[in-house]
Amino acid sequence: MSLGHKGKVLLSVVALVAATTLALTGCSASTTTKASGKTTSVTLFNGSVGNFTENFNPWLTTGAELQPTQGTIYEALFFYNMARSQAPVPLLGTSYKWNSDGTQLTIAVRQGVKWSDGTALTADDVAYTLNRYESTPALNTLGATWTTKLSGNNVVLTFPTTSYALEPQILGYIAIVPKAIWSKIPNVLNTTNTSPVGSGPYMLKTFTPQSYTLTKNPNYWGTGAEAPAIDQVRFISLANADAATSALESGNVDWMGGYLPTLRDIVKQNPKVSYVNTADSTTGVVTCSNAALGCTGPQTDVAVRQAIYDAMDRAQFSTQALNGFGEVGSPTLLVPAVNKKWISDSANATLPQSANVSAAKQALEADGWTVPATGFATKGGKELDLTINVVSGWTDYDTLCTLLKGQLAAVGINLTVNQVAQNAWSSAETSGKFELSLNSVNPGASASPFYIYNNYLATSATAAVGQSASTNTSRFSDPAIDATVKTIAKTDPSNTAALLSAYGSIQATVVKQLPIIPIYVNQALTEFNNSNATGWPSASNLYAFPEPWKAWDNGIVLKTIRPVK
Amino acid sequence: MTSAISLDEQAVMPTAPRPARRSIAQLLPSRSPKLVVGLSIAGVIILWAIIGPLIVGNPNAISTSMFQTPGTAGHLLGTTQTGQDVWSQIAYGTRGSLIIGFSVGIISTVLSAIFGILGAYIGGALDETFALFTNIVLVIPGLPLVIVIGNYIPVNQRGLFLIAIVLALTGWAGSARVLRAVTLSVRNRDYVAASRVSGEKTWRILVVEILPNLIPVMASQFVFAMIFAILGEAGLSFLGLGASNSFTLGTILFQAYNDLALTQGAWWWFVPPGLVIALFGCALSLINFSIDEIINPKLRNSTRAVRKKWGLSPAQIRQLDEEQIK
Amino acid sequence: MPPGPGFVKESRTVQFYLKKLVFYVVALWAAVTLNFLIPRLMPGNPVDVLIAKMGATGQPVTRQTREALAIALGQGNSTNWFVQYGEYINNLVHGNLGVSIVDFPASVTTVISQALPWTICLIGLSTLISFLLGIGLGVLAGWKRGSWLDNLIPVTTMFQAVPYFWLALILVLLLTRLTHFFPFAGGYNVYGGLVPGFTPQFIGSAVYYGFLPALTIVLSSVGGWMLGMRNMMVSTLSEDYILTAEAKGLKPSRVRLTYAARNAVLPSLSGFAISLGFVVAGSIVTEEVFSYPGIGQLLWTAVSNDDYALMQGIFLVISVSVLVANLVVDLLYALIDPRTRARS
Repeated sequence: MSLGHKGKVLLSVVALVAATTLALTGCSASTTTKASGKTTSVTLFNGSVGNFTENFNPWLTTGAELQPTQGTIYEALFFYNMARSQAPVPLLGTSYKWNSDGTQLTIAVRQGVKWSDGTALTADDVAYTLNRYESTPALNTLGATWTTKLSGNNVVLTFPTTSYALEPQILGYIAIVPKAIWSKIPNVLNTTNTSPVGSGPYMLKTFTPQSYTLTKNPNYWGTGAEAPAIDQVRFISLANADAATSALESGNVDWMGGYLPTLRDIVKQNPKVSYVNTADSTTGVVTCSNAALGCTGPQTDVAVRQAIYDAMDRAQFSTQALNGFGEVGSPTLLVPAVNKKWISDSANATLPQSANVSAAKQALEADGWTVPATGFATKGGKELDLTINVVSGWTDYDTLCTLLKGQLAAVGINLTVNQVAQNAWSSAETSGKFELSLNSVNPGASASPFYIYNNYLATSATAAVGQSASTNTSRFSDPAIDATVKTIAKTDPSNTAALLSAYGSIQATVVKQLPIIPIYVNQALTEFNNSNATGWPSASNLYAFPEPWKAWDNGIVLKTIRPVK
Repeated sequence: MTSAISLDEQAVMPTAPRPARRSIAQLLPSRSPKLVVGLSIAGVIILWAIIGPLIVGNPNAISTSMFQTPGTAGHLLGTTQTGQDVWSQIAYGTRGSLIIGFSVGIISTVLSAIFGILGAYIGGALDETFALFTNIVLVIPGLPLVIVIGNYIPVNQRGLFLIAIVLALTGWAGSARVLRAVTLSVRNRDYVAASRVSGEKTWRILVVEILPNLIPVMASQFVFAMIFAILGEAGLSFLGLGASNSFTLGTILFQAYNDLALTQGAWWWFVPPGLVIALFGCALSLINFSIDEIINPKLRNSTRAVRKKWGLSPAQIRQLDEEQIK
Repeated sequence: MPPGPGFVKESRTVQFYLKKLVFYVVALWAAVTLNFLIPRLMPGNPVDVLIAKMGATGQPVTRQTREALAIALGQGNSTNWFVQYGEYINNLVHGNLGVSIVDFPASVTTVISQALPWTICLIGLSTLISFLLGIGLGVLAGWKRGSWLDNLIPVTTMFQAVPYFWLALILVLLLTRLTHFFPFAGGYNVYGGLVPGFTPQFIGSAVYYGFLPALTIVLSSVGGWMLGMRNMMVSTLSEDYILTAEAKGLKPSRVRLTYAARNAVLPSLSGFAISLGFVVAGSIVTEEVFSYPGIGQLLWTAVSNDDYALMQGIFLVISVSVLVANLVVDLLYALIDPRTRARS
């Protein structure tokens, strides 16, 4: 056939182009690695697709700032490790101390530190940064007030009330900047800061919209194990999971994050590839639970929430939605791997793994629903219909909802799955115009359970339906819990006995009320190719959260890894 | 995806049916092999969309048998990540896609008839306004608009019909422009003028004298609108903006892509839905070929070479050409 | 004194151009206004999106975070729409498209200018290739009706009835997953430290990476051009002047190209202008499949982040480029084919 001839021509053209380009790219790739000889480098893929826009503004928290800005180019005073329970790691601060009533925080600033341009970093820079943050409403994402005083090599913050809870946010999430540069900029948010001067282990070398390179900061304060050893770090864009997978296997990418369905096979076939699975946050069904704040729908009824809780076959979720990479969660909403010691009642340590259909049906029947053997439950002639919002494209969540629909049908609940874009999903939850929403319970500023309970259960973090609730989107509100949360905020963090009993009283309510119906602990998979560098975080040594998109933790990982000899 | 529609007035002018009235029988496509093949494929798919969902199982039923290959017990086309039966999903998906296709076809044909035929027939300022409006809608990029709108329709309202309306609203202008050009040329024919002079009512002239001449063009535009809609819906769904809670071939493809069917080699999940779209689109194209040959008899397969073989003089060929147009 | 015939002709031409110009001005105004209205008619708030993202990447979020972000992004100005419309038009006139939220505080112009070259090169070039290829094949098919090439047309139109992205997925499956001929995605090889520029390495890499997306576009659109051209060719071939040319004994190749094809191509030309708009739009899905760093993917980013300024900017770029392409073709057309002017 004549088509065959044309096909052959096309194919040979394709082959020719492919061969030439392969040769070309092969050449260029080998020259960079071999010609540089002693230059060691790692390449990092943090999930960015499309073009990078050059932006190294350390004041931003909108995600527009490129990721190494915080933690790698600029540093905070301390590092708070979310991957395990541990004391804050000193960075630009060497120690800190609260006064007895928790209203005054004294920070000792590290001496002998230089900015990447060679000028000295002093306590004055730290005081300037903290003061500018506090006094500029657009920067002050904490909404807290304090006065900043410089006292020798110390910086002293004085708060109007007991403020233990602000500690990690101030010490761990504010990038310290040079006063000499930033005091000349009237509106710090309006700059893209394309030649950043920071104190972190790496500094910017070259930038293009699809990849940029950082190089070791020669003035970095750390020595020995605390000094960066890899010469260059490249951040790349332009890849989807498929491309990233093949890049990881070939060693083009050393460090990436994300769920790869075929990960176990990849590791089997490539001895250089390893992965670490870190407990991240509890995945749960957020319910608009509080009719008093305007929620409507069957889920405002605690019996319905209990029925959903009982109907879940969590083992199936874990196998089919997470390919077995999930971990058993706790009904207290805490992540057992990190906060096991804060779960006061051992009965609440883990979630049931299989469905209890009869318990679910009983819960509904006790509440006045008629549950037929097949079909959907009814009450007063109305069918038990619920709608769950889920972000379309979040594979594991989408799969989970498909499974949940089937599981709930077995107990007489008719679940409709609404796959929506991320913005629509988050705005529905924020405004309260939803029934159920699949989300995760994110830890706050540190691994302490306080932030989870304060953000997800306190009345101060919620709002009536129709208004924006910041974090407590289930609209849960209970005066007893509010009081307990306030007490915890004023409790000295070292008083563990008092804290444990306070947490226990919150947990007793949460597991009964179920404003958020927990499913499993979502795991964050991080993959490494060990041919260029070693010393990555591992299951046995989680010195930082390993995901490459975790801004502050990145700096720690990058200065800890060592080149392969 | 709409590049096949010749959007230009000049393109339509010479191909417009020029001469006298035709009987309805003459308007029916002659039985060419293209038409037979096209109609049969389309017929089978339409039939499948009607009957399929009645005979297959519940497409939502989950099971623990994930990623079964085709042919495994009870799963003709294998299963998905959540153990759902691909075969059942395709039955429902075909139905969903066809509902969208037909709805968009009907709505956009009505819209294009209003803006194209009515305007051109009444003429004057109305025609100018309609034509201007049509042209503006035509040059404003449709798909980005659909994406922006689609993103904001509350999900629980984003059913099949709403998606169909959005697609129709952004897709009618091309047809309207073609219909206007054809109407203009029909309107100026002697017999229409004669009816007008003899005092026929406007609507009667429109319905009896003009519309029959437009039927083939409208049919062809209807078919194009269907292809456009099915492809457009698939594209929207692929971006996650498709109809929620209903199966279409697009939503199946979206699910498959999202659940990394490609990475995991589950070809049975994403190849069949695309094939159904391709086959149906192909069938519609074949039907359109036949309609085109009615609209423009020159396209029929009596080539110049064939006529030359008859030993005719150029003048005779010309005469034949003209007769055939009549 | 009544104007002479020459004047009438002149004024008709002027009138023609005036009418065209008025149309484009009105169309531009409509596009710009629509662009203004869309985000204002739609619910949604970029701050919510940012908050959700911050939560997901482990940043601490409190009630105050929302307030601070709203101030930072200049949200919540509640002047009435007329004032806003005035400001919007004024900004547009001065080339100020505002500040992107996703890439805050980078300007929309900066963000778009990074993505635009990729789309123009990939989508523009492959559309052009597909157009030229389609026209060429269409001429041949129309000339030799009933030949094998002519019979191939239904096959090529079949590609057109296939969803873009599905074709892309199949190509990816065949050419990258199973045979490893081509890379999965992206604009060029970012691993080797290549710097974009006019170097042979970079261009080679960009061509290599752009091949599959381009192939997808060409495969799925060439059939339309081919069919349109073939039909016009067939119609044109029965015109009197072709017969005359043949009767004069001109070489068939000359009749085919200079007499038939040249006239038959006119409608396709204006179809080409309109299709440019559809192509940019259609590229959104293609760019999504291949993670291509172009304008389509950027629009998708803007839409999913409620980044109105960026959305508006991209929409404006697309609308204006389509309008300009149409204007150019319209004017060219009138120059090439005087009948157009006369008819108006």
